[in-house]
Amino acid sequence: MKLASTHAAAVALAICVPMATAKDITLPPDGEQLEASALPGFAKAQASCTMCHSAEYMRYQPPNAGRPYWDAMVHRMKTVFKAPIADEDMPAIVDYLASTYGNKQPR
Amino acid sequence: MTKPPSNLLRRRLVVAGGAGLATAGFGAFTRGAHAASTTVDLPIANGHRHLVAFPEKRPLIVLTTRPPQLETPFEVFNDGLLTPNDAFFVRYHNAGIPTSIDGDRHVIRIGGNAAGKPFELTMAELRTQYKPVELVAVNQCSGNSRALFNPRVTGGQLTNGAMGNARWVGVPLKDILAKAELASSAKQVTFDGLDVALMGGGDFVKALEIGHAMNGEVMLAYTMNGAELPMLNGYPVRLVVPGYYGTYWVKHLSEIQVIDTVFDGFWMKPAYRIPDNACACIEPGTTPAATRPIGRFNVRSFITSVSDGARVPAGSPLAVRGIAFDGGQGIREVAWSADGGQSWREATLGTELSRFSFREFTFGFTPQAGAYDLRVRAFNRSGESQPMEALWQPAGYMRNVVESVKVQAI
Repeated sequence: MKLASTHAAAVALAICVPMATAKDITLPPDGEQLEASALPGFAKAQASCTMCHSAEYMRYQPPNAGRPYWDAMVHRMKTVFKAPIADEDMPAIVDYLASTYGNKQPR
Repeated sequence: MTKPPSNLLRRRLVVAGGAGLATAGFGAFTRGAHAASTTVDLPIANGHRHLVAFPEKRPLIVLTTRPPQLETPFEVFNDGLLTPNDAFFVRYHNAGIPTSIDGDRHVIRIGGNAAGKPFELTMAELRTQYKPVELVAVNQCSGNSRALFNPRVTGGQLTNGAMGNARWVGVPLKDILAKAELASSAKQVTFDGLDVALMGGGDFVKALEIGHAMNGEVMLAYTMNGAELPMLNGYPVRLVVPGYYGTYWVKHLSEIQVIDTVFDGFWMKPAYRIPDNACACIEPGTTPAATRPIGRFNVRSFITSVSDGARVPAGSPLAVRGIAFDGGQGIREVAWSADGGQSWREATLGTELSRFSFREFTFGFTPQAGAYDLRVRAFNRSGESQPMEALWQPAGYMRNVVESVKVQAI
Protein backbone atom coordinates (compact mmCIF):
# COMPACT_ATOMS: atom_id res chain seq x y z
CA MET A 1 0.00 0.00 0.00
CA LYS A 2 2.73 2.37 0.97
CA LEU A 3 4.54 1.70 -2.24
CA ALA A 4 1.38 2.19 -4.26
CA SER A 5 0.50 5.51 -2.66
CA THR A 6 4.04 6.79 -3.07
CA HIS A 7 3.88 5.87 -6.70
CA ALA A 8 0.53 7.63 -7.10
CA ALA A 9 1.91 10.76 -5.48
CA ALA A 10 4.88 10.73 -7.81
CA VAL A 11 2.60 10.40 -10.82
CA ALA A 12 0.41 13.26 -9.60
CA LEU A 13 3.49 15.42 -9.08
CA ALA A 14 4.73 14.60 -12.54
CA ILE A 15 1.42 15.64 -14.06
CA CYS A 16 0.81 18.80 -12.03
CA VAL A 17 4.37 20.08 -11.85
CA PRO A 18 6.27 18.79 -14.84
CA MET A 19 10.00 18.96 -14.52
CA ALA A 20 11.15 21.48 -17.04
CA THR A 21 14.51 20.76 -18.52
CA ALA A 22 16.66 22.11 -21.25
CA LYS A 23 15.48 20.85 -24.58
CA ASP A 24 17.69 20.70 -27.64
CA ILE A 25 16.70 19.60 -31.09
CA THR A 26 18.54 19.16 -34.37
CA LEU A 27 16.50 19.80 -37.47
CA PRO A 28 16.85 17.73 -40.65
CA PRO A 29 18.32 19.15 -43.88
CA ASP A 30 16.05 20.67 -46.51
CA GLY A 31 13.97 18.13 -48.40
CA GLU A 32 13.92 20.05 -51.68
CA GLN A 33 16.42 22.31 -53.44
CA LEU A 34 15.66 25.03 -55.97
CA GLU A 35 15.25 23.61 -59.47
CA ALA A 36 18.44 24.23 -61.45
CA SER A 37 18.00 26.55 -64.39
CA ALA A 38 20.03 28.45 -66.98
CA LEU A 39 17.97 31.53 -66.21
CA PRO A 40 19.95 34.30 -64.48
CA GLY A 41 17.37 34.43 -61.71
CA PHE A 42 18.33 30.96 -60.50
CA ALA A 43 21.57 32.05 -58.82
CA LYS A 44 19.90 35.19 -57.48
CA ALA A 45 17.08 33.10 -56.00
CA GLN A 46 19.64 30.79 -54.40
CA ALA A 47 21.26 33.83 -52.83
CA SER A 48 18.10 35.67 -51.78
CA CYS A 49 15.31 33.14 -51.15
CA THR A 50 16.65 29.93 -49.68
CA MET A 51 18.83 31.71 -47.14
CA CYS A 52 15.61 32.10 -45.11
CA HIS A 53 13.37 29.23 -46.21
CA SER A 54 13.48 25.91 -47.97
CA ALA A 55 12.46 25.38 -51.58
CA GLU A 56 9.27 23.46 -50.80
CA TYR A 57 7.63 26.89 -50.52
CA MET A 58 8.07 27.18 -54.29
CA ARG A 59 7.97 23.53 -55.29
CA TYR A 60 4.53 22.72 -53.87
CA GLN A 61 2.54 25.67 -55.20
CA PRO A 62 -0.47 24.63 -57.29
CA PRO A 63 -0.53 24.52 -61.09
CA ASN A 64 -2.46 27.79 -61.30
CA ALA A 65 0.27 29.77 -59.52
CA GLY A 66 1.20 32.18 -62.30
CA ARG A 67 3.53 35.13 -62.67
CA PRO A 68 1.38 37.57 -60.62
CA TYR A 69 1.75 35.27 -57.63
CA TRP A 70 5.52 35.02 -57.89
CA ASP A 71 5.80 38.76 -58.46
CA ALA A 72 3.70 39.47 -55.36
CA MET A 73 5.71 37.01 -53.27
CA VAL A 74 9.11 38.42 -54.26
CA HIS A 75 7.88 41.92 -53.44
CA ARG A 76 6.44 40.74 -50.12
CA MET A 77 9.71 39.07 -49.18
CA LYS A 78 11.53 42.34 -49.71
CA THR A 79 9.04 44.82 -48.26
CA VAL A 80 7.72 42.77 -45.32
CA PHE A 81 10.52 40.35 -44.49
CA LYS A 82 13.45 42.57 -45.53
CA ALA A 83 14.92 39.97 -47.85
CA PRO A 84 18.14 41.46 -49.27
CA ILE A 85 16.98 41.63 -52.88
CA ALA A 86 18.20 44.47 -55.08
CA ASP A 87 15.39 46.11 -57.02
CA GLU A 88 17.22 45.44 -60.28
CA ASP A 89 17.37 41.70 -59.47
CA MET A 90 13.67 41.30 -58.83
CA PRO A 91 12.48 40.82 -62.43
CA ALA A 92 15.05 38.06 -63.00
CA ILE A 93 14.01 36.25 -59.83
CA VAL A 94 10.35 36.51 -60.76
CA ASP A 95 11.20 35.23 -64.26
CA TYR A 96 12.97 32.22 -62.80
CA LEU A 97 10.19 31.39 -60.34
CA ALA A 98 7.38 31.91 -62.84
CA SER A 99 9.25 29.82 -65.43
CA THR A 100 10.05 26.99 -63.05
CA TYR A 101 7.18 26.60 -60.59
CA GLY A 102 3.39 26.71 -60.51
CA ASN A 103 1.95 26.37 -63.98
CA LYS A 104 5.40 25.88 -65.52
CA GLN A 105 6.31 23.00 -63.27
CA PRO A 106 6.90 19.61 -64.90
CA ARG A 107 4.72 16.90 -63.42
CA MET B 1 6.54 4.87 -28.19
CA THR B 2 6.97 6.26 -31.67
CA LYS B 3 4.56 4.52 -33.96
CA PRO B 4 5.15 5.07 -37.64
CA PRO B 5 1.85 5.13 -39.50
CA SER B 6 3.26 2.57 -41.86
CA ASN B 7 0.50 0.00 -41.94
CA LEU B 8 -2.28 2.53 -42.14
CA LEU B 9 -0.51 4.59 -44.73
CA ARG B 10 0.32 1.55 -46.77
CA ARG B 11 -3.35 0.63 -46.71
CA ARG B 12 -4.34 4.05 -47.93
CA LEU B 13 -1.75 4.04 -50.64
CA VAL B 14 -2.93 0.65 -51.84
CA VAL B 15 -6.57 1.57 -51.54
CA ALA B 16 -5.96 4.75 -53.50
CA GLY B 17 -5.32 2.45 -56.45
CA GLY B 18 -4.91 4.42 -59.64
CA ALA B 19 -4.40 7.73 -57.86
CA GLY B 20 -0.66 7.63 -58.31
CA LEU B 21 0.94 5.12 -56.01
CA ALA B 22 4.06 6.30 -54.26
CA THR B 23 7.02 4.19 -55.18
CA ALA B 24 10.15 5.86 -53.83
CA GLY B 25 11.30 3.90 -50.83
CA PHE B 26 8.07 1.96 -50.65
CA GLY B 27 9.89 -1.30 -50.21
CA ALA B 28 11.58 0.03 -47.08
CA PHE B 29 8.31 1.32 -45.71
CA THR B 30 7.99 -0.88 -42.69
CA ARG B 31 7.83 -0.37 -38.96
CA GLY B 32 11.11 1.08 -37.75
CA ALA B 33 12.35 1.95 -41.21
CA HIS B 34 14.03 5.31 -41.54
CA ALA B 35 11.42 7.84 -42.44
CA ALA B 36 13.47 9.90 -44.83
CA SER B 37 12.78 7.50 -47.67
CA THR B 38 9.00 7.50 -47.49
CA THR B 39 6.71 9.53 -49.66
CA VAL B 40 3.01 9.96 -50.20
CA ASP B 41 0.95 11.29 -53.08
CA LEU B 42 -1.78 13.53 -51.74
CA PRO B 43 -4.99 13.55 -53.84
CA ILE B 44 -4.16 16.90 -55.48
CA ALA B 45 -2.17 18.06 -58.50
CA ASN B 46 1.50 18.47 -57.54
CA GLY B 47 0.86 16.51 -54.34
CA HIS B 48 4.00 14.38 -54.06
CA ARG B 49 5.34 14.74 -50.50
CA HIS B 50 8.05 13.35 -48.24
CA LEU B 51 7.37 11.94 -44.80
CA VAL B 52 10.15 12.75 -42.33
CA ALA B 53 10.53 12.20 -38.58
CA PHE B 54 11.46 15.58 -37.10
CA PRO B 55 12.65 15.79 -33.46
CA GLU B 56 10.04 14.38 -31.05
CA LYS B 57 7.85 13.49 -34.03
CA ARG B 58 6.97 10.34 -35.92
CA PRO B 59 7.18 10.58 -39.72
CA LEU B 60 4.83 13.38 -40.78
CA ILE B 61 4.01 14.88 -44.17
CA VAL B 62 6.53 17.64 -44.87
CA LEU B 63 4.96 20.79 -46.24
CA THR B 64 8.20 22.71 -45.68
CA THR B 65 11.46 21.75 -44.00
CA ARG B 66 12.69 25.22 -43.04
CA PRO B 67 10.93 26.48 -41.10
CA PRO B 68 9.17 23.21 -40.27
CA GLN B 69 5.58 22.79 -41.42
CA LEU B 70 4.35 19.25 -40.90
CA GLU B 71 0.96 17.72 -41.62
CA THR B 72 -0.51 14.80 -39.70
CA PRO B 73 -1.29 11.75 -41.88
CA PHE B 74 -5.07 11.53 -41.80
CA GLU B 75 -5.09 7.93 -40.60
CA VAL B 76 -3.93 9.15 -37.19
CA PHE B 77 -7.35 10.71 -36.56
CA ASN B 78 -8.90 7.24 -36.48
CA ASP B 79 -6.57 6.08 -33.70
CA GLY B 80 -8.29 8.04 -30.93
CA LEU B 81 -9.84 11.38 -30.06
CA LEU B 82 -6.60 12.82 -28.70
CA THR B 83 -3.88 13.41 -31.27
CA PRO B 84 -0.55 12.07 -29.96
CA ASN B 85 2.10 14.71 -29.40
CA ASP B 86 4.47 13.01 -31.81
CA ALA B 87 1.83 13.17 -34.55
CA PHE B 88 0.55 16.69 -33.87
CA PHE B 89 0.90 19.07 -36.83
CA VAL B 90 3.54 21.82 -36.90
CA ARG B 91 3.31 25.26 -38.42
CA TYR B 92 5.92 28.01 -38.21
CA HIS B 93 6.09 31.25 -40.16
CA ASN B 94 9.70 32.35 -39.81
CA ALA B 95 12.87 30.28 -39.99
CA GLY B 96 14.44 31.72 -36.86
CA ILE B 97 12.97 29.04 -34.62
CA PRO B 98 14.41 28.09 -31.24
CA THR B 99 16.24 24.76 -31.17
CA SER B 100 17.54 24.96 -27.60
CA ILE B 101 15.46 26.21 -24.67
CA ASP B 102 16.04 25.88 -20.95
CA GLY B 103 12.50 25.45 -19.73
CA ASP B 104 13.41 26.46 -16.19
CA ARG B 105 14.93 29.77 -17.21
CA HIS B 106 12.30 30.76 -19.74
CA VAL B 107 10.62 34.05 -18.86
CA ILE B 108 7.43 35.68 -20.16
CA ARG B 109 7.45 39.48 -20.07
CA ILE B 110 4.07 41.13 -19.46
CA GLY B 111 3.77 44.83 -20.28
CA GLY B 112 2.44 47.27 -22.84
CA ASN B 113 1.15 50.83 -22.61
CA ALA B 114 -2.14 49.71 -21.02
CA ALA B 115 -0.51 47.56 -18.34
CA GLY B 116 -0.08 49.58 -15.14
CA LYS B 117 2.26 47.09 -13.53
CA PRO B 118 4.55 45.30 -15.98
CA PHE B 119 6.22 42.18 -14.64
CA GLU B 120 8.21 39.12 -15.61
CA LEU B 121 6.85 35.65 -15.11
CA THR B 122 9.17 32.67 -14.86
CA MET B 123 8.06 29.19 -15.81
CA ALA B 124 8.49 28.12 -12.18
CA GLU B 125 6.10 30.87 -11.09
CA LEU B 126 3.64 29.98 -13.82
CA ARG B 127 3.61 26.36 -12.65
CA THR B 128 3.48 26.96 -8.91
CA GLN B 129 1.82 30.31 -8.20
CA TYR B 130 -1.28 29.98 -10.37
CA LYS B 131 -4.06 27.44 -10.24
CA PRO B 132 -3.81 25.24 -13.32
CA VAL B 133 -6.79 24.36 -15.46
CA GLU B 134 -7.20 21.50 -17.89
CA LEU B 135 -9.03 21.60 -21.20
CA VAL B 136 -9.32 19.32 -24.22
CA ALA B 137 -9.31 21.53 -27.30
CA VAL B 138 -8.76 21.25 -31.03
CA ASN B 139 -6.05 23.30 -32.67
CA GLN B 140 -6.58 23.74 -36.39
CA CYS B 141 -4.49 25.69 -38.87
CA SER B 142 -6.42 28.44 -40.68
CA GLY B 143 -5.24 26.95 -43.95
CA ASN B 144 -6.08 23.35 -43.12
CA SER B 145 -7.36 21.74 -46.36
CA ARG B 146 -6.21 24.68 -48.50
CA ALA B 147 -4.95 22.33 -51.21
CA LEU B 148 -8.52 21.07 -51.70
CA PHE B 149 -9.84 24.47 -52.78
CA ASN B 150 -11.28 24.65 -56.28
CA PRO B 151 -10.03 26.70 -57.98
CA ARG B 152 -6.75 26.13 -56.16
CA VAL B 153 -5.27 28.98 -54.14
CA THR B 154 -1.60 29.67 -53.43
CA GLY B 155 -0.02 29.25 -50.01
CA GLY B 156 0.73 26.18 -47.92
CA GLN B 157 -0.79 23.24 -49.77
CA LEU B 158 -2.28 21.26 -46.89
CA THR B 159 -4.85 18.51 -47.09
CA ASN B 160 -6.92 17.70 -43.98
CA GLY B 161 -4.13 16.96 -41.49
CA ALA B 162 -3.28 20.42 -40.12
CA MET B 163 -5.47 19.88 -37.07
CA GLY B 164 -5.17 18.05 -33.80
CA ASN B 165 -6.92 17.57 -30.49
CA ALA B 166 -5.03 17.61 -27.18
CA ARG B 167 -5.52 17.83 -23.44
CA TRP B 168 -3.90 21.10 -22.39
CA VAL B 169 -2.91 22.08 -18.86
CA GLY B 170 -1.98 25.65 -18.09
CA VAL B 171 -3.05 28.91 -16.51
CA PRO B 172 -5.92 31.14 -17.63
CA LEU B 173 -4.54 34.27 -19.28
CA LYS B 174 -6.95 36.41 -17.25
CA ASP B 175 -5.28 35.32 -14.01
CA ILE B 176 -1.93 36.56 -15.31
CA LEU B 177 -3.26 39.79 -16.79
CA ALA B 178 -5.06 40.53 -13.52
CA LYS B 179 -1.64 41.06 -11.93
CA ALA B 180 -0.65 43.60 -14.57
CA GLU B 181 -3.23 46.19 -13.42
CA LEU B 182 -4.83 46.85 -16.78
CA ALA B 183 -5.80 50.39 -17.67
CA SER B 184 -9.38 51.07 -18.72
CA SER B 185 -7.96 52.08 -22.10
CA ALA B 186 -6.78 48.50 -22.78
CA LYS B 187 -8.01 47.46 -26.21
CA GLN B 188 -5.95 44.50 -27.36
CA VAL B 189 -3.35 42.06 -26.08
CA THR B 190 -0.45 41.03 -28.32
CA PHE B 191 1.55 37.81 -28.10
CA ASP B 192 5.08 37.12 -29.27
CA GLY B 193 7.20 33.99 -29.05
CA LEU B 194 10.88 33.13 -29.24
CA ASP B 195 10.76 32.49 -32.97
CA VAL B 196 12.14 35.38 -34.99
CA ALA B 197 12.21 36.56 -38.57
CA LEU B 198 15.75 36.09 -39.82
CA MET B 199 16.08 39.42 -41.63
CA GLY B 200 14.24 41.49 -39.04
CA GLY B 201 10.92 41.99 -40.83
CA GLY B 202 7.67 40.13 -40.26
CA ASP B 203 8.16 38.86 -36.71
CA PHE B 204 5.22 36.62 -35.84
CA VAL B 205 3.07 38.61 -33.41
CA LYS B 206 -0.67 38.08 -32.92
CA ALA B 207 -3.38 40.05 -31.14
CA LEU B 208 -6.65 39.31 -29.36
CA GLU B 209 -9.33 41.77 -28.29
CA ILE B 210 -9.05 42.53 -24.56
CA GLY B 211 -12.45 40.98 -23.82
CA HIS B 212 -11.42 37.78 -25.56
CA ALA B 213 -8.07 37.69 -23.75
CA MET B 214 -9.89 38.06 -20.41
CA ASN B 215 -12.70 35.55 -21.07
CA GLY B 216 -11.13 32.85 -18.91
CA GLU B 217 -10.85 30.36 -21.75
CA VAL B 218 -7.59 31.59 -23.28
CA MET B 219 -4.71 29.93 -21.45
CA LEU B 220 -0.94 29.61 -21.24
CA ALA B 221 -0.44 25.88 -21.65
CA TYR B 222 2.65 24.07 -20.39
CA THR B 223 1.56 20.48 -20.82
CA MET B 224 0.00 18.71 -23.77
CA ASN B 225 -1.57 15.28 -23.34
CA GLY B 226 0.13 14.93 -19.96
CA ALA B 227 3.65 15.69 -21.17
CA GLU B 228 5.76 18.74 -21.85
CA LEU B 229 5.05 20.34 -25.18
CA PRO B 230 7.23 19.08 -28.02
CA MET B 231 9.69 21.78 -29.02
CA LEU B 232 7.99 22.14 -32.41
CA ASN B 233 4.61 22.67 -30.73
CA GLY B 234 5.82 25.55 -28.59
CA TYR B 235 7.90 24.29 -25.66
CA PRO B 236 7.89 25.33 -22.85
CA VAL B 237 4.63 27.29 -23.04
CA ARG B 238 2.19 28.29 -25.73
CA LEU B 239 -1.04 30.20 -25.95
CA VAL B 240 -4.17 28.07 -26.26
CA VAL B 241 -7.14 29.95 -27.71
CA PRO B 242 -10.01 27.45 -27.56
CA GLY B 243 -12.25 27.41 -30.63
CA TYR B 244 -10.01 29.78 -32.57
CA TYR B 245 -7.70 29.01 -35.45
CA GLY B 246 -4.14 28.03 -34.65
CA THR B 247 -2.70 31.33 -35.87
CA TYR B 248 -3.47 32.76 -32.42
CA TRP B 249 -1.89 29.88 -30.50
CA VAL B 250 1.52 31.57 -30.23
CA LYS B 251 4.34 29.12 -29.47
CA HIS B 252 7.34 29.57 -27.14
CA LEU B 253 5.36 32.46 -25.64
CA SER B 254 7.77 35.12 -24.38
CA GLU B 255 6.03 38.47 -24.49
CA ILE B 256 2.50 39.68 -23.73
CA GLN B 257 1.62 43.34 -24.27
CA VAL B 258 -1.62 45.01 -23.29
CA ILE B 259 -2.12 47.97 -25.63
CA ASP B 260 -4.62 50.78 -26.12
CA THR B 261 -4.66 50.50 -29.92
CA VAL B 262 -5.50 47.92 -32.58
CA PHE B 263 -2.32 46.05 -33.46
CA ASP B 264 -1.76 46.00 -37.21
CA GLY B 265 1.42 43.97 -37.69
CA PHE B 266 1.73 41.93 -40.89
CA TRP B 267 0.32 38.72 -39.37
CA MET B 268 -2.87 40.54 -38.31
CA LYS B 269 -3.11 42.73 -41.40
CA PRO B 270 -3.04 41.90 -44.27
CA ALA B 271 -2.29 38.27 -43.34
CA TYR B 272 -4.84 35.92 -41.77
CA ARG B 273 -7.90 37.88 -42.84
CA ILE B 274 -11.17 36.61 -44.26
CA PRO B 275 -13.95 38.23 -46.28
CA ASP B 276 -16.00 40.38 -43.91
CA ASN B 277 -19.39 38.85 -44.63
CA ALA B 278 -21.60 36.17 -43.13
CA CYS B 279 -20.17 33.22 -45.08
CA ALA B 280 -16.55 34.49 -45.07
CA CYS B 281 -16.64 33.65 -48.75
CA ILE B 282 -16.63 35.27 -52.20
CA GLU B 283 -16.96 34.20 -55.81
CA PRO B 284 -13.75 32.48 -56.96
CA GLY B 285 -11.33 34.88 -58.55
CA THR B 286 -12.87 38.01 -57.05
CA THR B 287 -11.52 40.25 -54.28
CA PRO B 288 -13.34 40.82 -50.98
CA ALA B 289 -14.77 44.30 -50.45
CA ALA B 290 -13.66 44.26 -46.83
CA THR B 291 -11.84 41.84 -44.55
CA ARG B 292 -11.62 41.01 -40.86
CA PRO B 293 -9.18 38.92 -38.83
CA ILE B 294 -9.92 35.20 -38.94
CA GLY B 295 -11.68 34.03 -35.77
CA ARG B 296 -13.50 30.93 -34.63
CA PHE B 297 -13.56 27.54 -36.34
CA ASN B 298 -16.61 26.78 -38.39
CA VAL B 299 -18.26 23.34 -38.13
CA ARG B 300 -16.40 20.36 -39.60
CA SER B 301 -16.80 16.59 -39.63
CA PHE B 302 -14.76 13.77 -41.12
CA ILE B 303 -15.19 10.06 -41.57
CA THR B 304 -11.95 8.53 -40.31
CA SER B 305 -12.51 4.77 -40.42
CA VAL B 306 -12.82 4.38 -44.17
CA SER B 307 -11.03 6.39 -46.85
CA ASP B 308 -12.15 7.66 -50.22
CA GLY B 309 -11.81 4.95 -52.86
CA ALA B 310 -11.97 2.07 -50.37
CA ARG B 311 -13.51 -1.30 -51.14
CA VAL B 312 -15.74 -2.84 -48.50
CA PRO B 313 -17.43 -6.25 -48.34
CA ALA B 314 -20.99 -6.36 -49.69
CA GLY B 315 -23.61 -7.97 -47.48
CA SER B 316 -21.65 -7.41 -44.24
CA PRO B 317 -22.40 -4.69 -41.69
CA LEU B 318 -20.07 -1.72 -42.17
CA ALA B 319 -19.23 0.21 -39.00
CA VAL B 320 -18.20 3.79 -39.71
CA ARG B 321 -16.72 6.27 -37.29
CA GLY B 322 -15.36 9.76 -37.44
CA ILE B 323 -14.87 13.09 -35.72
CA ALA B 324 -16.77 16.39 -35.61
CA PHE B 325 -15.91 19.73 -34.02
CA ASP B 326 -16.72 23.43 -34.10
CA GLY B 327 -15.63 26.71 -32.56
CA GLY B 328 -16.84 25.96 -29.06
CA GLN B 329 -20.63 25.67 -29.09
CA GLY B 330 -20.24 21.95 -29.14
CA ILE B 331 -21.64 19.39 -31.58
CA ARG B 332 -25.37 18.74 -31.28
CA GLU B 333 -25.89 16.28 -34.11
CA VAL B 334 -24.11 14.51 -36.93
CA ALA B 335 -26.19 13.38 -39.90
CA TRP B 336 -24.93 10.73 -42.30
CA SER B 337 -25.79 9.75 -45.84
CA ALA B 338 -24.74 6.82 -48.00
CA ASP B 339 -26.28 8.21 -51.21
CA GLY B 340 -24.39 11.44 -51.68
CA GLY B 341 -26.70 13.51 -49.52
CA GLN B 342 -30.09 12.55 -50.92
CA SER B 343 -31.21 10.95 -47.67
CA TRP B 344 -29.88 11.43 -44.16
CA ARG B 345 -29.97 9.61 -40.83
CA GLU B 346 -28.64 10.53 -37.45
CA ALA B 347 -25.30 9.18 -36.27
CA THR B 348 -24.61 8.23 -32.65
CA LEU B 349 -22.47 10.74 -30.78
CA GLY B 350 -19.72 9.67 -28.37
CA THR B 351 -18.80 11.29 -25.06
CA GLU B 352 -18.12 15.01 -25.17
CA LEU B 353 -14.61 15.50 -23.74
CA SER B 354 -15.21 19.24 -23.94
CA ARG B 355 -17.17 21.53 -26.24
CA PHE B 356 -13.81 22.41 -27.88
CA SER B 357 -12.81 18.78 -28.50
CA PHE B 358 -13.14 16.35 -31.37
CA ARG B 359 -16.44 14.51 -30.82
CA GLU B 360 -16.69 10.95 -31.98
CA PHE B 361 -19.65 9.81 -34.08
CA THR B 362 -20.52 6.33 -35.28
CA PHE B 363 -23.04 4.81 -37.64
CA GLY B 364 -23.46 1.59 -39.52
CA PHE B 365 -25.27 -0.02 -42.41
CA THR B 366 -25.04 -3.11 -44.57
CA PRO B 367 -24.05 -2.18 -48.11
CA GLN B 368 -25.17 -4.26 -51.05
CA ALA B 369 -22.85 -4.62 -54.01
CA GLY B 370 -22.40 -1.25 -55.64
CA ALA B 371 -21.12 2.28 -55.16
CA TYR B 372 -21.78 4.43 -52.11
CA ASP B 373 -21.08 8.11 -51.57
CA LEU B 374 -20.71 8.54 -47.81
CA ARG B 375 -21.22 12.00 -46.35
CA VAL B 376 -21.42 13.36 -42.83
CA ARG B 377 -22.75 16.74 -41.85
CA ALA B 378 -22.40 18.09 -38.31
CA PHE B 379 -24.56 20.70 -36.57
CA ASN B 380 -23.43 22.64 -33.53
CA ARG B 381 -25.60 23.84 -30.66
CA SER B 382 -26.26 27.11 -32.48
CA GLY B 383 -27.59 25.21 -35.48
CA GLU B 384 -24.59 26.11 -37.62
CA SER B 385 -23.57 23.41 -40.06
CA GLN B 386 -21.50 22.66 -43.14
CA PRO B 387 -22.24 23.64 -46.75
CA MET B 388 -22.91 20.92 -49.34
CA GLU B 389 -20.88 22.89 -51.90
CA ALA B 390 -17.48 24.23 -50.91
CA LEU B 391 -17.21 27.95 -50.20
CA TRP B 392 -14.23 29.87 -51.58
CA GLN B 393 -11.98 32.63 -50.32
CA PRO B 394 -8.68 33.89 -51.72
CA ALA B 395 -6.43 32.86 -48.83
CA GLY B 396 -7.80 29.32 -48.64
CA TYR B 397 -8.90 29.41 -45.02
CA MET B 398 -11.89 27.80 -43.30
CA ARG B 399 -12.78 24.98 -45.68
CA ASN B 400 -15.68 23.09 -44.12
CA VAL B 401 -17.63 21.54 -46.97
CA VAL B 402 -19.47 18.25 -46.40
CA GLU B 403 -16.76 15.83 -47.51
CA SER B 404 -17.46 12.90 -49.82
CA VAL B 405 -16.03 9.44 -49.18
CA LYS B 406 -16.81 7.15 -52.09
CA VAL B 407 -16.63 3.45 -51.39
CA GLN B 408 -17.33 0.38 -53.48
CA ALA B 409 -19.03 -2.63 -51.90
CA ILE B 410 -17.98 -5.88 -53.56
